[in-house]
Amino acid sequence: MLLIRHRSLAETAKIIHQRSFTSLVEKVPLAPADKILGLTAFYNRDPNPKKINLTVGVYQDAWGKVTTFPSVAKSQKLIDNDLLLNKNLSYLPITGCKDFETNVMNFLFKESMHHPELIEQDRISFIQTLSGTGAVAIAASFLSTFITNEISVPNYSWANHTNIFTKNGFPSVDYYPYYDRKTGQIDFQNWINHLKNLPFLGKPRGILLHASCHNPTGLDPTRQQWEKIIDTIYELKMIPVIDMAYQGLETGNLIEDAHLLRLCLNTDKYPHWNNGIFLCQSFAKNMGLYGERVGSLSIVLPEADSQLKERVNSQLKRIVRGIYSSPPGYGSRIANVLLSTPNLKKQWFKDVKSMVERLQSVRLAMFERLNWPDLINKESNHGMFYFTRFSEGQVNELRTKYGIYLTLDGRLSLSGVNNYNVDYLCEALQNVSKLARA
Amino acid sequence: MSRTIFNTIELLPPDALFGIKQRYNADERKDKVDLGIGAYRDNQGKPWVLPSVKSAELAIHADPNYNHEYLNITGLNALTSGAANIIFGPDSDAIKNERIVSTQSISGTGALHIAAKFLSKFFPERKIYLSDPTWANHQAIFQAQGLVTNTYPYWDNETKSLDLNGFERSIEVAPEGSVFVLHACAHNPTGLDPTKEQWETILERIAYKGHLALFDSAYQGFASGDLNKDAYSIRLGVEKLKRVAPILVCQSFAKNVGMYGERVGCFHIVLPEQDTKEELTTVKKALSSQLSKIIRSEVSNPPAYGAKIVATILNSDELRAQWYKDMITMSSRIMEMRVTLRDRLNELGTPGTWDHIVEQTGMFSFTGLTSEMVARLEKEHSIYMVSSGRASIAGLNKLNVDRVAQSIDEVVRHFTNESKL
Repeated sequence: MLLIRHRSLAETAKIIHQRSFTSLVEKVPLAPADKILGLTAFYNRDPNPKKINLTVGVYQDAWGKVTTFPSVAKSQKLIDNDLLLNKNLSYLPITGCKDFETNVMNFLFKESMHHPELIEQDRISFIQTLSGTGAVAIAASFLSTFITNEISVPNYSWANHTNIFTKNGFPSVDYYPYYDRKTGQIDFQNWINHLKNLPFLGKPRGILLHASCHNPTGLDPTRQQWEKIIDTIYELKMIPVIDMAYQGLETGNLIEDAHLLRLCLNTDKYPHWNNGIFLCQSFAKNMGLYGERVGSLSIVLPEADSQLKERVNSQLKRIVRGIYSSPPGYGSRIANVLLSTPNLKKQWFKDVKSMVERLQSVRLAMFERLNWPDLINKESNHGMFYFTRFSEGQVNELRTKYGIYLTLDGRLSLSGVNNYNVDYLCEALQNVSKLARA
Repeated sequence: MSRTIFNTIELLPPDALFGIKQRYNADERKDKVDLGIGAYRDNQGKPWVLPSVKSAELAIHADPNYNHEYLNITGLNALTSGAANIIFGPDSDAIKNERIVSTQSISGTGALHIAAKFLSKFFPERKIYLSDPTWANHQAIFQAQGLVTNTYPYWDNETKSLDLNGFERSIEVAPEGSVFVLHACAHNPTGLDPTKEQWETILERIAYKGHLALFDSAYQGFASGDLNKDAYSIRLGVEKLKRVAPILVCQSFAKNVGMYGERVGCFHIVLPEQDTKEELTTVKKALSSQLSKIIRSEVSNPPAYGAKIVATILNSDELRAQWYKDMITMSSRIMEMRVTLRDRLNELGTPGTWDHIVEQTGMFSFTGLTSEMVARLEKEHSIYMVSSGRASIAGLNKLNVDRVAQSIDEVVRHFTNESKL
């Protein structure tokens, strides 16, 4: 394995001994390729001229192009042209840019949730994060260090959720029933029963909730179901960890889409969350800032207590300092300019609305060709993804026979569908749907 | 009010460096000087965007395909390959034989963190040896992953030079297969690097004992203005260990491209030579897959903007040429300030010797000032530096260097006189 030349016997023996490290490195096993981003690599190599990549949740316009929202492009221009705004590339503080914090907290807690008092009372520990993943990772690290290492995650969920929790201090995750694959409905009663039957092991338990546009199923509980679910979670003293990656993509209205947060913060119903609420929020999708990694973690603390906040913040800083020191600047400057400039913000609300209108028109176009009713069920089916309920065999058939790429769980990203490929796609979906689902 | 688990959370002291920045920002005295954090400043004391960076930004914005789409989990290929080229050298045998696994990281900290997480997963029993002293964050990064850290002697405070004997002894007595974290150049905080001969000795001893070398390269090209010179230790290590053990390299573009807040870096694993191409491919694939899994669990994929800037510079002959000039601009200004500060202190007859300020390289000088002196500098003279006596030379300029020298003179005399009483 190692080349050993021109060495004395003693030295050779020594080096053979030293192979311990090398051979250990050689024994590092192959980790499975990431389910989503790995597929893109296959797609890129596929010679089929009709191939369609419907795996990644990146918004594309009606011409299949990834474009920058007008509001974001204008914010960018302002930054690029203004020396005062882009005067240096200096380090941000560990917890991120102060103005970003103010503007994002105002947007989330004042405008979206109608709870300005949370900001006034100093009830929120806030840090800028590397988008939603970074927020969930820091929350996981904080929770596992101080609060609990038990978490329940929906089945299905974003493929990376389990990876994030188990790599950040959780020995394992519990999966609660979420989606009934047979009916394509929320597995509501089993969900509630599962939570109620979880053994109490002396620690409060975290529960991961998708705020809207559930990934990968695109299926959300109805508002009535949410009320019952949150009632249960509150009774069981669980800790909501809310992943809000798609604010605005449910209804097209950014404010409206924070309904799950507003529900949790309804103090008439839920006067005291014993261990706080963890909100992991991302601007990847609703501002299209994907690769710039812009998001935030807000911990709504159980008490209005500035010393408590200071303690929590100090620990969050320690976690960040050990992982990446401070967050990247550019994307947060864009978000910051956008949120603090009224006409750009207005434009942003319009941009989000027109993105959602296009996704809805895609759903309609597909419905017209396939007649699958859940495509246009506005009460429950939301966002960028449509869950085909195809088996892995069917997904493979779509890929090998038609060059159409879905994630292996059968998730289809609607944003890759447009006028040019919708006929071809629906024909293929129709054909493949006739195959056995096993 | 009710007590919850939250009440048991302990308050941590603020991070020393960022704490200094906070106090500095709050200080209302007009002539305050920040010699704390390691960021380059020009002769007016202003942050400096490198001309090569400005050109790269213009090129990026003018590109019709510019967008904010996700990068790969392991980052931008144009960045990682360009970065490997400059650190291992265009003629590197490791590059030619494709013995390197690379990934983009959130600057140097992110690279070190990936290294720590990787080591803790596959080699949790290995001890991590850090230089005494070292960058304040090194220990925290490794310990946060449950790794045991130890120190090796580095700085001899008496002679203000390298304690090579102590260093060698540590290499000798460390359990075989320990991890030695080495500053590739411009040692932080002392600014003192081993000579070429000393590097030979150190790396041979490390190879002989079967330890693993982990290079932290935060100042390549910034220290001397010359990329090759500042990568000497790494390239020597790659050569010395090529039949023995892998090498880990954490590379930051914070200082040398001024990408501080944009968080651009790379993590490289250089594998030793393997018998067959197939074996090499298998090992590389496995390593890359594990690194991806780590990154995916924390950030999904690294930030794009800064990576695009650095990749644009590294892959354009014209911009690279400009960047070389920019690094000379920075390193020569810092050298000039080192000389000026030493000369002023000598002129003032400040007690002690000050040649080490000129002999040290990189952003910092380990001045030898005590923590009391540093505290007095802050309180009486509004000059901020780390309590260990580390001063960021980049914070000096023509407008403030005289006052800084006079202030150092005052605090040194203050405590020297006091101790004589």
